[in-house]
Amino acid sequence: MYYPWFKLDSLNGFIVLAIALFSVLILIYSWRFMKGRGQGLRYYTYIILTAASSIGVVLSNNLILLAILWGFLGLTLYLLINTAKDDVSSTAKKTLIIIGGTDALMLLGIGIIYYISGTMQIDKIRIALDGNLQFLPIAAYLCIAVACLAKAGAMPFHTWVPDCAEKAPVPVVAYLPASLDKLLGIYLLARLSLDLFILNQAINIFLMVIGAFTIIAAVMMALVQHNMKRLLGYHAVSQVGYMVLGIGTGVPIGIAGGLFHMLNNSIYKQALFLGAGNVEQKTGTTELDKLGGLSKAMPLTYISCLVASLAISGIPPFNGFVSKWMIYQGLIERLSFGKGNLILILCLAAAMCGSGLTLASFMKLLHATFLGQQPSGAKKRSGEVPWQMWLPCVVLAVICVLFGVFANQLPLKYFILPAVGGVSFIGSWYAGLSTLLIIIGLLLGIFIFKLKAIKPVIRQDASFVGAEGAELGKNRVSGTEFYNTIKELPVLKGIYAKAEKGYFDIYEQGKSLVFGIGRFFQYLHNGVLPTYLVWTLLGMIALFFVLMK
Amino acid sequence: MPGANIIPLFVIIPLFTAFFISLIGRFIKSTYVDIVSGLSSFLLLIFSFWGLAILGRCPETALVYKIGGWLPPFGICMVLDGLSNFMLVTVNIIAFLVVIYSFNYMEKYTDKPKFYTLFFLMLTGMNGVIVTGDLFNLFVFLEIASISSYALVAFGTEAEELEASFKYAIMGSVASAFIFIGIAFLYGFTSTLNMADMARVLSAKPSNWAVPFVSVLFLMGFGLKSALVPFHAWLPDAHSSAPASISAMLSGVLIKTLGVYALARIFFNVIGASGTVLSVLMFLGALSMLVAVILALSQWDLKRLLAYHSISQIGYVVLGIGLGTPLGILGGLFHLFNHSIFKSLLFLNSGAIDYSARTRDLREMSGLRKKLPVTAGTNLIASMSIAGIPPLNGFFSKLIIILACVQKGHIGYALAAVIASVLTLASFMKVQKFAFLGPLKEKYQAIKEVPPAMKFAMVSLATICILGGLLLLPSFSFFLNNAVNVLSDGRDYALAVFGAVLK
Repeated sequence: MYYPWFKLDSLNGFIVLAIALFSVLILIYSWRFMKGRGQGLRYYTYIILTAASSIGVVLSNNLILLAILWGFLGLTLYLLINTAKDDVSSTAKKTLIIIGGTDALMLLGIGIIYYISGTMQIDKIRIALDGNLQFLPIAAYLCIAVACLAKAGAMPFHTWVPDCAEKAPVPVVAYLPASLDKLLGIYLLARLSLDLFILNQAINIFLMVIGAFTIIAAVMMALVQHNMKRLLGYHAVSQVGYMVLGIGTGVPIGIAGGLFHMLNNSIYKQALFLGAGNVEQKTGTTELDKLGGLSKAMPLTYISCLVASLAISGIPPFNGFVSKWMIYQGLIERLSFGKGNLILILCLAAAMCGSGLTLASFMKLLHATFLGQQPSGAKKRSGEVPWQMWLPCVVLAVICVLFGVFANQLPLKYFILPAVGGVSFIGSWYAGLSTLLIIIGLLLGIFIFKLKAIKPVIRQDASFVGAEGAELGKNRVSGTEFYNTIKELPVLKGIYAKAEKGYFDIYEQGKSLVFGIGRFFQYLHNGVLPTYLVWTLLGMIALFFVLMK
Repeated sequence: MPGANIIPLFVIIPLFTAFFISLIGRFIKSTYVDIVSGLSSFLLLIFSFWGLAILGRCPETALVYKIGGWLPPFGICMVLDGLSNFMLVTVNIIAFLVVIYSFNYMEKYTDKPKFYTLFFLMLTGMNGVIVTGDLFNLFVFLEIASISSYALVAFGTEAEELEASFKYAIMGSVASAFIFIGIAFLYGFTSTLNMADMARVLSAKPSNWAVPFVSVLFLMGFGLKSALVPFHAWLPDAHSSAPASISAMLSGVLIKTLGVYALARIFFNVIGASGTVLSVLMFLGALSMLVAVILALSQWDLKRLLAYHSISQIGYVVLGIGLGTPLGILGGLFHLFNHSIFKSLLFLNSGAIDYSARTRDLREMSGLRKKLPVTAGTNLIASMSIAGIPPLNGFFSKLIIILACVQKGHIGYALAAVIASVLTLASFMKVQKFAFLGPLKEKYQAIKEVPPAMKFAMVSLATICILGGLLLLPSFSFFLNNAVNVLSDGRDYALAVFGAVLK
């Protein structure tokens, strides 16, 4: 039985385009960033292999082929992380264990799908989760969904993303965990939920709860981070929540919103990580404490990070707003189904709060990095990074604006709506008009500000502390302590403390469980020959019992 | 049938080499000893591939060599069918590369000729077990291989090696004794020792207590030889104490030949695998997979870690074969082949590290990839392969085993295979992290990559790891499928053998 191994359709076409675009941008960026790191050819080989197998995964029409390429991506990610200058072996190890482990689970899921449907051809499989055979289809769905969630970095399989974001080379993070892994994970989740399986109510609720929980928990962690890359890493997790939530709604507009958010997220998240890379290149650090006042030195990086930050926080008219708005509409539409309303309302609230908290944490990031003042010890730095490094950021920022302002005309029309049939908007959003109004509002504001400036009423004077002139550098507000107070709130305090110790890290918990069992087995292996002979004998007695009865 | 005349060569060549080297090894330079051994093992490799070609051309599914021209069941015969040929190729690939590797590696031990003598005796035993058509002969060859492996484990003659060898010898002898008793019972019951004839007699006779009784003895005996939990306790000591090239042989092929091959041959082709035996095999396989991999995770001695993984991977093989379906057997046998390749490679890597950095303790090593690029690269390939990362060979066999488990409705065993796979990955991530990544230690600034012969062996095995998946392609699949057919045909083995005899 012959069928094409690869198939292009409306769901995967635009993802292929996105992968190609990101690959080109990353290659341009790496040109300067990886220079002098002694990796050279090896690094570029891995990047090209990654791009090729990602496109293969997205286009593949055979589950086995998909699993092979999907698993191979885990390996390339591992190799890419290891191209870092510093010691990243622990991070790389953790990443591949989580990714590879869930991949193995995916094989089990594929096996069950084959058992149920008798085919590996993706466009032939259609399994209802409500059928008579309840347990197996749900197990298959969950096995593969876990692999998708781990790849995309949703909770509780997210713990590799922040680690990776902090330690791995910036282009690698911007390329894989921030954009490609999101595209692939969510693509497969969408494929799974839309085509391979017909979801039931419980699975939808399950996905939505995972999504909502991921949004809130990850953004809460992001708020208190002190490292720019790690902070972005937690946002990379948090944003996955929106996508999973959108797909979990199970109504066309929500799914379209989830897919659109996936596309948007990879755009602005890549811009942000590349911006962090520029900062690192310029200053040699991404610790927020040691940064500040870079907006004058690196205006292009600043502007593109600003645009991307506003987009990720869901500020109109940028692209993040449009997709979030679609996801909200999906939730609201689902409310009319009349089932599980409380959970839906909670999810909606979580998504909206998450958006606000995202904005809050980006205020911290922007202030601490680009605004404020430089720390007193830091050298004066001026000059933008080389063009190979700012160009990708600017391109991505421009796309953020375009996809927001012309959402209906460009991405939705060509990419998203063909992929999901039957989308109906219940709340309308006229991007063009709104943008116009926003611009008019801004112009009005500037006008009023200038009006005041003609007759100044603002008095500027030297500041004093305790009757002594305060030096500007000493009393700077670095921004890292903006939200430290929430760490002190009664309930959250305990949770944060536990989170820092790895209590919620599925990897750490699994590790201690396995080592616990291991210690028991080690205790049995005492190295004494008679003991070993006794086991052999006991084993034989058991065999006699089983076979001779 | 002229083609059948090559069968005894698989025993004669290594046996002759063993005695030849022990006779003249003392008087010639060790380079010549290397050359003789290399040639001999290369010849065996050529013959095993030739066997493949002969078997492909002849219309029968088996070739039979009658020793002294006596017709079986009265005379002793040697049988070459799809399964034996598959095993011969596996064993002789590993043996050839290990001999090449030993050219340099065994320099640090004093007595190379003695090493080669024991090595080729062990090879005689293994090849003999594979080609023999006679149950008592199987026992004799099994003992030849076992006893020479006891001696090889003790080759370093330090306290640790001697202790390991002693434990191995005791437990191995217990197993051999039970196997022997089992054979005696079967002989008493069927009045024949020829395996094909025994299969014929057993299928004609009504069953009674003897068959399950003998099954238990064989399960225990061959289970111990293949190191299934709970009969595995000798293996971590023995395999980690032997010289690296011997560990590669022991873990790579010895436990599979003496254990898994003999188990599968006797249960599927002679006694007939009942449902209970199969479920026992599956259970033992799954148990070995999980218990051993958990133990492996907490090891710090690289070779001991690898040794525990051998137990765990044998679990996969036995689980696959125990499923009894063609797909399961395919998965099991394919994993057997793959495991031979990557586990030998891993042991050779550990030997290379030992050769250059003089340590086996993972906590001692760090950053070795900067100084040992070939070792690090091949080790990465082997680690990813054993962990089941595509597109390396281990991925495909694990995939088939998981699919076969699901196909037969054993979701629990499939899940166990998945969990064991994750833990395997975790423990090889540990190896990568501690041995090859991280900063290079001061004391290893001066170490050099291993000599060319060792590199050659490692790179060849790594290449097979990368290309191994191709064995599933239709044009190469006869290699595995012929072996699978022998097992899934069950007692039709007797028909195949007698058909070939009468030709």
